[in-house]
Amino acid sequence: MQDAITTLINTSDTQGKYLDESSLNNLQDYFRSGELRARAAMTISANASTIVTRTTAKSLLYTDITAPGGNMYTCRRYAACVRDMDYFLRYATYAMLAGDPSILDERVLNGLRETYNSLGVPVGATVRAVQAMKEVTTEMLGADAGKEMGLYFDHICTGLS
Amino acid sequence: MSLIKQVILNADEELRYPTPGELRMIQTFCQSGAERIQLVKQLEAKAPTIVEKGTRQFWKICPRTPSNSGNRIKTASAKRDVGWYIRLISYCLLAGNDRPLQEIGLTGMKDLYANVGIPLTNILQYMRCLKAEAIKQLDAATAEEVIPYFDQIIQYIALPGPPYFINDGVGESIPVV
Repeated sequence: MQDAITTLINTSDTQGKYLDESSLNNLQDYFRSGELRARAAMTISANASTIVTRTTAKSLLYTDITAPGGNMYTCRRYAACVRDMDYFLRYATYAMLAGDPSILDERVLNGLRETYNSLGVPVGATVRAVQAMKEVTTEMLGADAGKEMGLYFDHICTGLS
Repeated sequence: MSLIKQVILNADEELRYPTPGELRMIQTFCQSGAERIQLVKQLEAKAPTIVEKGTRQFWKICPRTPSNSGNRIKTASAKRDVGWYIRLISYCLLAGNDRPLQEIGLTGMKDLYANVGIPLTNILQYMRCLKAEAIKQLDAATAEEVIPYFDQIIQYIALPGPPYFINDGVGESIPVV
Protein backbone atom coordinates (compact mmCIF):
# COMPACT_ATOMS: atom_id res chain seq x y z
CA MET A 1 0.00 0.00 0.00
CA GLN A 2 0.95 3.65 -0.36
CA ASP A 3 0.22 6.72 1.68
CA ALA A 4 0.55 10.41 0.87
CA ILE A 5 4.09 10.58 2.27
CA THR A 6 5.43 7.29 0.92
CA THR A 7 4.14 8.07 -2.57
CA LEU A 8 5.99 11.38 -2.70
CA ILE A 9 9.17 9.86 -1.30
CA ASN A 10 9.12 7.01 -3.79
CA THR A 11 8.58 9.36 -6.72
CA SER A 12 11.51 11.53 -5.67
CA ASP A 13 13.69 8.54 -4.94
CA THR A 14 13.29 7.03 -8.39
CA GLN A 15 14.63 10.33 -9.74
CA GLY A 16 17.34 10.45 -7.08
CA LYS A 17 16.22 13.88 -5.98
CA TYR A 18 15.20 15.68 -2.85
CA LEU A 19 11.49 16.47 -2.61
CA ASP A 20 10.82 19.48 -4.81
CA GLU A 21 8.79 22.51 -3.87
CA SER A 22 5.46 21.19 -5.13
CA SER A 23 5.87 17.83 -3.37
CA LEU A 24 6.74 19.63 -0.16
CA ASN A 25 3.61 21.74 -0.56
CA ASN A 26 1.50 18.61 -1.01
CA LEU A 27 3.13 17.18 2.07
CA GLN A 28 2.44 20.35 3.99
CA ASP A 29 -1.25 20.13 3.05
CA TYR A 30 -1.35 16.56 4.24
CA PHE A 31 0.33 17.45 7.54
CA ARG A 32 -2.15 20.27 8.02
CA SER A 33 -5.07 17.90 7.56
CA GLY A 34 -3.50 15.39 9.95
CA GLU A 35 -5.34 16.72 12.97
CA LEU A 36 -8.66 16.37 11.16
CA ARG A 37 -7.86 12.88 9.93
CA ALA A 38 -6.75 11.61 13.31
CA ARG A 39 -9.80 13.06 15.01
CA ALA A 40 -12.12 11.55 12.40
CA ALA A 41 -10.48 8.15 12.83
CA MET A 42 -10.93 8.46 16.57
CA THR A 43 -14.67 9.15 16.19
CA ILE A 44 -15.18 6.36 13.70
CA SER A 45 -13.37 3.78 15.78
CA ALA A 46 -15.44 4.75 18.81
CA ASN A 47 -18.69 4.49 16.86
CA ALA A 48 -17.94 1.80 14.32
CA SER A 49 -20.75 -0.55 15.26
CA THR A 50 -23.25 2.31 15.49
CA ILE A 51 -22.30 3.43 12.00
CA VAL A 52 -22.75 -0.08 10.63
CA THR A 53 -26.10 -0.50 12.40
CA ARG A 54 -27.43 2.80 11.10
CA THR A 55 -26.17 2.02 7.62
CA THR A 56 -27.93 -1.32 7.50
CA ALA A 57 -31.10 0.22 8.89
CA LYS A 58 -30.98 2.96 6.33
CA SER A 59 -30.24 0.98 3.20
CA LEU A 60 -30.85 -2.74 3.57
CA LEU A 61 -33.00 -3.74 6.51
CA TYR A 62 -36.40 -2.85 5.12
CA THR A 63 -35.89 -3.97 1.55
CA ASP A 64 -36.55 -7.25 -0.22
CA ILE A 65 -32.99 -8.33 0.34
CA THR A 66 -33.67 -9.36 3.95
CA ALA A 67 -36.90 -11.18 3.05
CA PRO A 68 -36.93 -14.93 2.33
CA GLY A 69 -35.20 -15.46 -1.01
CA GLY A 70 -33.12 -12.30 -0.65
CA ASN A 71 -29.37 -12.46 -0.29
CA MET A 72 -29.40 -11.25 3.32
CA TYR A 73 -32.01 -13.78 4.39
CA THR A 74 -30.79 -16.26 6.99
CA CYS A 75 -28.81 -14.98 9.94
CA ARG A 76 -25.62 -16.35 8.53
CA ARG A 77 -25.80 -14.23 5.39
CA TYR A 78 -26.97 -11.23 7.37
CA ALA A 79 -23.96 -11.57 9.64
CA ALA A 80 -21.64 -11.91 6.66
CA CYS A 81 -23.07 -8.71 5.22
CA VAL A 82 -22.58 -6.83 8.47
CA ARG A 83 -19.02 -8.10 8.66
CA ASP A 84 -18.32 -6.83 5.15
CA MET A 85 -19.74 -3.42 6.04
CA ASP A 86 -17.45 -3.40 9.02
CA TYR A 87 -14.51 -4.11 6.71
CA PHE A 88 -15.48 -1.38 4.28
CA LEU A 89 -15.64 1.13 7.10
CA ARG A 90 -12.34 0.07 8.61
CA TYR A 91 -10.43 0.08 5.33
CA ALA A 92 -11.98 3.38 4.27
CA THR A 93 -10.73 4.78 7.59
CA TYR A 94 -7.23 3.45 6.92
CA ALA A 95 -7.28 5.01 3.45
CA MET A 96 -8.51 8.30 4.89
CA LEU A 97 -5.68 8.30 7.44
CA ALA A 98 -3.15 7.52 4.74
CA GLY A 99 -4.63 10.06 2.34
CA ASP A 100 -4.37 7.45 -0.39
CA PRO A 101 -6.86 4.85 -1.71
CA SER A 102 -4.32 2.19 -2.67
CA ILE A 103 -4.93 0.09 0.45
CA LEU A 104 -8.56 -0.29 -0.70
CA ASP A 105 -7.44 -1.59 -4.08
CA GLU A 106 -4.98 -4.01 -2.59
CA ARG A 107 -6.84 -5.38 0.37
CA VAL A 108 -10.55 -4.91 -0.32
CA LEU A 109 -11.40 -4.44 -3.96
CA ASN A 110 -8.93 -6.89 -5.48
CA GLY A 111 -11.19 -9.72 -6.67
CA LEU A 112 -14.15 -8.54 -4.59
CA ARG A 113 -16.56 -8.13 -7.48
CA GLU A 114 -15.78 -11.62 -8.75
CA THR A 115 -16.24 -13.03 -5.24
CA TYR A 116 -19.58 -11.27 -4.85
CA ASN A 117 -20.74 -12.43 -8.26
CA SER A 118 -19.88 -16.03 -7.54
CA LEU A 119 -21.64 -15.86 -4.17
CA GLY A 120 -24.66 -14.15 -5.72
CA VAL A 121 -24.27 -11.02 -3.60
CA PRO A 122 -26.03 -8.16 -5.43
CA VAL A 123 -23.46 -5.48 -6.21
CA GLY A 124 -26.14 -2.82 -6.65
CA ALA A 125 -27.37 -3.24 -3.09
CA THR A 126 -23.79 -3.21 -1.78
CA VAL A 127 -23.10 0.06 -3.56
CA ARG A 128 -26.31 1.52 -2.13
CA ALA A 129 -25.23 0.46 1.35
CA VAL A 130 -21.77 2.00 0.96
CA GLN A 131 -23.40 5.23 -0.17
CA ALA A 132 -25.65 5.11 2.89
CA MET A 133 -22.56 4.58 5.02
CA LYS A 134 -21.08 7.68 3.48
CA GLU A 135 -24.13 9.68 4.54
CA VAL A 136 -24.13 8.23 8.03
CA THR A 137 -20.43 9.01 8.61
CA THR A 138 -20.81 12.51 7.19
CA GLU A 139 -23.64 13.15 9.64
CA MET A 140 -21.45 11.95 12.44
CA LEU A 141 -18.14 13.61 11.49
CA GLY A 142 -19.31 16.88 10.00
CA ALA A 143 -18.81 18.21 6.50
CA ASP A 144 -14.99 18.41 6.24
CA ALA A 145 -14.04 14.98 7.53
CA GLY A 146 -17.19 13.55 5.93
CA LYS A 147 -16.09 14.78 2.54
CA GLU A 148 -12.67 13.18 2.97
CA MET A 149 -14.21 9.85 3.99
CA GLY A 150 -16.65 10.19 1.09
CA LEU A 151 -13.76 10.03 -1.37
CA TYR A 152 -12.84 6.56 -0.18
CA PHE A 153 -16.41 5.26 0.02
CA ASP A 154 -16.85 6.44 -3.55
CA HIS A 155 -13.64 4.65 -4.44
CA ILE A 156 -15.12 1.41 -3.08
CA CYS A 157 -18.28 1.95 -5.13
CA THR A 158 -16.34 2.64 -8.33
CA GLY A 159 -14.23 -0.43 -7.72
CA LEU A 160 -17.29 -2.60 -7.23
CA SER A 161 -19.37 -1.52 -10.20
CA MET B 1 7.18 3.35 4.53
CA SER B 2 6.08 6.25 6.69
CA LEU B 3 4.97 6.31 10.27
CA ILE B 4 1.35 6.53 9.08
CA LYS B 5 1.71 3.45 6.93
CA GLN B 6 3.34 1.58 9.78
CA VAL B 7 0.40 2.36 12.09
CA ILE B 8 -2.11 1.24 9.46
CA LEU B 9 -0.32 -2.01 8.69
CA ASN B 10 -0.02 -2.85 12.38
CA ALA B 11 -3.72 -2.16 12.90
CA ASP B 12 -4.77 -4.20 9.90
CA GLU B 13 -2.65 -7.11 11.03
CA GLU B 14 -4.94 -7.34 14.07
CA LEU B 15 -8.18 -6.36 12.26
CA ARG B 16 -8.62 -3.35 14.48
CA TYR B 17 -8.76 0.42 14.29
CA PRO B 18 -5.64 2.39 15.22
CA THR B 19 -5.60 2.88 18.99
CA PRO B 20 -6.03 6.35 20.52
CA GLY B 21 -2.32 6.30 21.34
CA GLU B 22 -1.37 5.60 17.75
CA LEU B 23 -3.72 8.31 16.52
CA ARG B 24 -2.21 10.77 18.94
CA MET B 25 1.21 9.86 17.59
CA ILE B 26 -0.03 10.66 14.07
CA GLN B 27 -1.44 13.95 15.33
CA THR B 28 1.82 15.06 16.93
CA PHE B 29 3.70 13.92 13.86
CA CYS B 30 1.50 16.04 11.59
CA GLN B 31 1.68 19.04 13.88
CA SER B 32 5.45 19.07 13.61
CA GLY B 33 5.19 18.72 9.81
CA ALA B 34 5.98 22.32 8.94
CA GLU B 35 9.06 22.33 11.17
CA ARG B 36 10.32 19.10 9.67
CA ILE B 37 9.93 20.48 6.17
CA GLN B 38 12.16 23.37 7.26
CA LEU B 39 14.73 20.92 8.63
CA VAL B 40 14.74 19.10 5.31
CA LYS B 41 15.29 22.32 3.39
CA GLN B 42 18.22 23.20 5.61
CA LEU B 43 19.71 19.74 5.27
CA GLU B 44 19.34 19.86 1.49
CA ALA B 45 21.04 23.27 1.35
CA LYS B 46 23.98 22.09 3.47
CA ALA B 47 24.34 18.65 1.90
CA PRO B 48 26.94 19.60 -0.75
CA THR B 49 29.13 21.31 1.88
CA ILE B 50 28.82 18.38 4.26
CA VAL B 51 29.83 15.98 1.49
CA GLU B 52 32.69 18.17 0.27
CA LYS B 53 34.28 18.91 3.63
CA GLY B 54 33.47 15.47 5.05
CA THR B 55 35.23 13.86 2.10
CA ARG B 56 38.36 15.93 2.62
CA GLN B 57 38.40 15.02 6.28
CA PHE B 58 37.94 11.36 5.38
CA TRP B 59 40.93 11.46 3.01
CA LYS B 60 43.08 12.87 5.79
CA ILE B 61 42.20 9.96 8.08
CA CYS B 62 42.15 7.34 5.40
CA PRO B 63 44.25 8.38 2.40
CA ARG B 64 44.49 4.96 0.78
CA THR B 65 40.94 4.51 -0.46
CA PRO B 66 39.40 4.14 -3.94
CA SER B 67 37.84 7.61 -3.85
CA ASN B 68 41.30 9.16 -3.23
CA SER B 69 43.09 7.04 -5.82
CA GLY B 70 43.07 9.78 -8.41
CA ASN B 71 40.41 8.04 -10.42
CA ARG B 72 37.82 10.76 -11.03
CA ILE B 73 34.95 8.37 -11.60
CA LYS B 74 35.60 6.72 -8.25
CA THR B 75 35.77 10.06 -6.45
CA ALA B 76 32.56 11.20 -8.09
CA SER B 77 30.72 7.96 -7.28
CA ALA B 78 31.83 8.08 -3.65
CA LYS B 79 30.58 11.62 -3.22
CA ARG B 80 27.38 10.78 -5.04
CA ASP B 81 26.76 7.75 -2.82
CA VAL B 82 27.21 9.57 0.46
CA GLY B 83 25.12 12.44 -0.91
CA TRP B 84 22.40 9.88 -1.47
CA TYR B 85 22.58 8.80 2.13
CA ILE B 86 21.97 12.38 3.19
CA ARG B 87 19.02 12.49 0.81
CA LEU B 88 17.62 9.31 2.38
CA ILE B 89 17.95 10.95 5.79
CA SER B 90 15.86 13.84 4.48
CA TYR B 91 13.19 11.30 3.48
CA CYS B 92 13.29 9.86 6.99
CA LEU B 93 12.70 13.29 8.49
CA LEU B 94 9.56 13.58 6.37
CA ALA B 95 8.36 10.03 6.90
CA GLY B 96 8.85 10.20 10.67
CA ASN B 97 10.76 6.93 10.91
CA ASP B 98 13.86 5.17 9.65
CA ARG B 99 12.14 2.98 7.11
CA PRO B 100 13.10 4.90 3.95
CA LEU B 101 16.77 4.76 4.97
CA GLN B 102 16.44 1.12 5.90
CA GLU B 103 14.57 0.04 2.78
CA ILE B 104 16.39 2.10 0.18
CA GLY B 105 19.85 2.47 1.62
CA LEU B 106 20.79 -0.11 4.22
CA THR B 107 19.29 -3.41 3.12
CA GLY B 108 21.99 -5.05 1.05
CA MET B 109 24.47 -2.23 1.59
CA LYS B 110 27.23 -4.45 2.92
CA ASP B 111 26.87 -6.90 0.05
CA LEU B 112 26.96 -4.05 -2.42
CA TYR B 113 30.22 -2.65 -1.10
CA ALA B 114 31.72 -6.12 -0.81
CA ASN B 115 30.82 -6.59 -4.45
CA VAL B 116 32.33 -3.33 -5.68
CA GLY B 117 35.40 -3.98 -3.57
CA ILE B 118 35.34 -1.06 -1.17
CA PRO B 119 36.40 -1.97 2.38
CA LEU B 120 33.55 -1.46 4.85
CA THR B 121 35.92 0.07 7.38
CA ASN B 122 36.57 2.90 4.93
CA ILE B 123 32.85 3.49 4.49
CA LEU B 124 32.55 3.49 8.26
CA GLN B 125 35.26 6.16 8.59
CA TYR B 126 33.65 8.13 5.79
CA MET B 127 30.26 8.11 7.53
CA ARG B 128 31.85 9.17 10.81
CA CYS B 129 33.52 12.11 9.08
CA LEU B 130 30.23 13.11 7.48
CA LYS B 131 28.49 12.89 10.82
CA ALA B 132 31.11 15.16 12.41
CA GLU B 133 30.82 17.59 9.52
CA ALA B 134 27.01 17.57 9.73
CA ILE B 135 27.20 18.50 13.40
CA LYS B 136 29.40 21.45 12.45
CA GLN B 137 27.30 22.62 9.52
CA LEU B 138 23.75 22.25 10.84
CA ASP B 139 22.21 24.26 13.64
CA ALA B 140 21.54 22.47 16.90
CA ALA B 141 17.84 21.77 16.32
CA THR B 142 18.41 20.26 12.88
CA ALA B 143 21.42 18.27 14.03
CA GLU B 144 19.37 16.78 16.83
CA GLU B 145 16.97 15.30 14.28
CA VAL B 146 19.54 14.35 11.67
CA ILE B 147 22.38 12.81 13.68
CA PRO B 148 20.47 9.74 14.95
CA TYR B 149 20.10 8.63 11.33
CA PHE B 150 23.84 8.99 10.76
CA ASP B 151 24.30 6.92 13.88
CA GLN B 152 21.99 4.33 12.47
CA ILE B 153 24.05 4.03 9.30
CA ILE B 154 27.24 3.81 11.36
CA GLN B 155 25.78 1.18 13.67
CA TYR B 156 24.53 -0.81 10.73
CA ILE B 157 28.00 -0.93 9.19
CA ALA B 158 29.86 -1.44 12.46
CA LEU B 159 27.72 -4.18 13.97
CA PRO B 160 27.68 -7.72 12.64
CA GLY B 161 23.97 -7.64 11.76
CA PRO B 162 20.98 -9.88 12.29
CA PRO B 163 22.39 -13.42 11.92
CA TYR B 164 24.59 -12.74 14.92
CA PHE B 165 21.59 -11.96 17.09
CA ILE B 166 19.00 -14.35 15.76
CA ASN B 167 18.04 -17.12 18.13
CA ASP B 168 17.58 -19.97 15.71
CA GLY B 169 16.75 -22.73 18.10
CA VAL B 170 18.82 -25.03 20.22
CA GLY B 171 22.43 -23.90 20.29
CA GLU B 172 25.60 -25.79 21.01
CA SER B 173 25.55 -24.63 24.62
CA ILE B 174 22.78 -27.09 25.34
CA PRO B 175 24.26 -30.53 25.82
CA VAL B 176 23.03 -33.10 23.38
CA VAL B 177 21.56 -36.06 25.20
